[in-house]
Amino acid sequence: MGKPEFAIIGTGEVPCGIYPKRSEFEIAYRVAKLAIEDAGITKDQIGAALTAAHIMGSEYNTEMFFGRLPEAIGARNCKIVATTISGGASSFSIRKTAEGILRSGETDYVLVVHAQRFSQFSPNEQATFFAHAGADLEWEVPYGMTYNALSAMVTQAYMAYTGTTLEQVASVCVACRKWANLQPNAMFRDKTLTVEEVLKSRMVAYPLTALMCNVLADGGSAYVMTTAENARKVCSKPVYVLGEASGYSHRSITKSKVRDLDRMHEFYAPIAKAAYERAGLGPADMDIYEIYGSYPVISLMAMDAMGFVEAGRSGALVASGETSPGGKYPVSTNGEAMAFGHTGTGVGFSVFVESVRQLQGKAGKAQVDGARFLVEDCGGGAFMDVHFTVLGNQIPN
Amino acid sequence: MSTSSAGTPSIREMLKEKLGCTDQDFLKPLPHPTAWSRPFWEAAKQHKLVLKKCKLCGHIDHPPYLYCTVCSGEDAEWIEASGKARLYAYAVNTYAVPFPFMEDLPYVLAMVDLPEGPRMISNVVGCSPKELKNGMELEVIFDQVSPDVVLPKWRPVNG
Repeated sequence: MGKPEFAIIGTGEVPCGIYPKRSEFEIAYRVAKLAIEDAGITKDQIGAALTAAHIMGSEYNTEMFFGRLPEAIGARNCKIVATTISGGASSFSIRKTAEGILRSGETDYVLVVHAQRFSQFSPNEQATFFAHAGADLEWEVPYGMTYNALSAMVTQAYMAYTGTTLEQVASVCVACRKWANLQPNAMFRDKTLTVEEVLKSRMVAYPLTALMCNVLADGGSAYVMTTAENARKVCSKPVYVLGEASGYSHRSITKSKVRDLDRMHEFYAPIAKAAYERAGLGPADMDIYEIYGSYPVISLMAMDAMGFVEAGRSGALVASGETSPGGKYPVSTNGEAMAFGHTGTGVGFSVFVESVRQLQGKAGKAQVDGARFLVEDCGGGAFMDVHFTVLGNQIPN
Repeated sequence: MSTSSAGTPSIREMLKEKLGCTDQDFLKPLPHPTAWSRPFWEAAKQHKLVLKKCKLCGHIDHPPYLYCTVCSGEDAEWIEASGKARLYAYAVNTYAVPFPFMEDLPYVLAMVDLPEGPRMISNVVGCSPKELKNGMELEVIFDQVSPDVVLPKWRPVNG
């Protein structure tokens, strides 16, 4: 591998859940301060402030791309502001933007912020937005398509063609919940969950029950990124970006590059492999697999591609408990969208921030002991793309 | 679909009373054809299922786009499809849908594979969701959903 160029030196996060009175501006300002403090730098060192768009839109987006954040937090030496958006893949595209700014030499410190308050919208506004977000307005929405139905169809196909059972699908939700129970900022930090409860909850989009569908929530997180060279000087435990790889498939699920949806790993796996290779590591070197699922079937398809379980057998692995706390293959240690809460573009940010915390040894009760390397992923839209990143708190030989 | 047994208020009436919805909130989203998709919707009105085929390379694009997504050729023809398909996968919406579809619950969404190549999202109608099987044969039907719009949908062959 080449030498890593970039590192993350601090993170910030607020509790995720339904907090209608906490505005997205308050979240953004708060997580920015927390990340800057955690990084051990001052706000005056921030040279670029990047925000992810609030996915349902609000004046927040206009305010942010017109430079509200640096003014509000007093980052008076900031030179560059930008808003990046690619749905659930925003956490990746914004990081690539940050890397470009750092590579340009314009600044050594980029602040990256995400904030979301879904609870300002009515349930029907949220249902309508997400029906339209996951589906084609001309060809799918007139048929009553919804995001849940999209995931339900993919789940139905995955189960029918791999033999994965509904109990195994439900076990993904339970594993996520067990991790979230260890996370002070998770939406479902206080509520336990069993497979029976998942299966018995209200049917929403067969075969998906209510507890197999993520819940929209308010939340946000931030991090500070710098060059790897600078990170070694200013941070006792920087987290290095060791390898990254990306792929795009489609807008409409009907145009997926892999036509057999139970075999989505055929699209994902070469991309994961490229990320491992760029890091000079392999799946067996990973201590954690930080997956952005959003629905249990997407987690299973990502696991199928990550090289630590035979494709099509991920459901059985999860049901065995090996991806839960204490298991051999820790997956999604903050509970991701299913249990941490779905903050729109923010799920990828929360997964990334949790990845950094784990590698800095700051993950509290969810800490995976001795974690050195991990792989994380994100993707957006109707499963339009995937981005794998290998991170480490050391540079492999 | 909005009819209900005597004495029970319909979903629409309930939502109007509970949430202050108006009939406007129940208007179905309809396709807004583009210059390159209009022939599809015009043909559907004539109860014909058509697909856009590139005259240069023969590729069939669905959804259709401005030019061929394989060879970028601009010259295309609209061919009539066989009207047959196979069910690839399905879901049954039973809850948590936008207001305009509440009165249709439960309804089936499906990915259907046409022998001509394209896969489409559509509804499967005319059978109980319990009878659905991956791979089953389907045939097209045409549903007049508004005075100006006909949606091609599917039902089991010999259903």
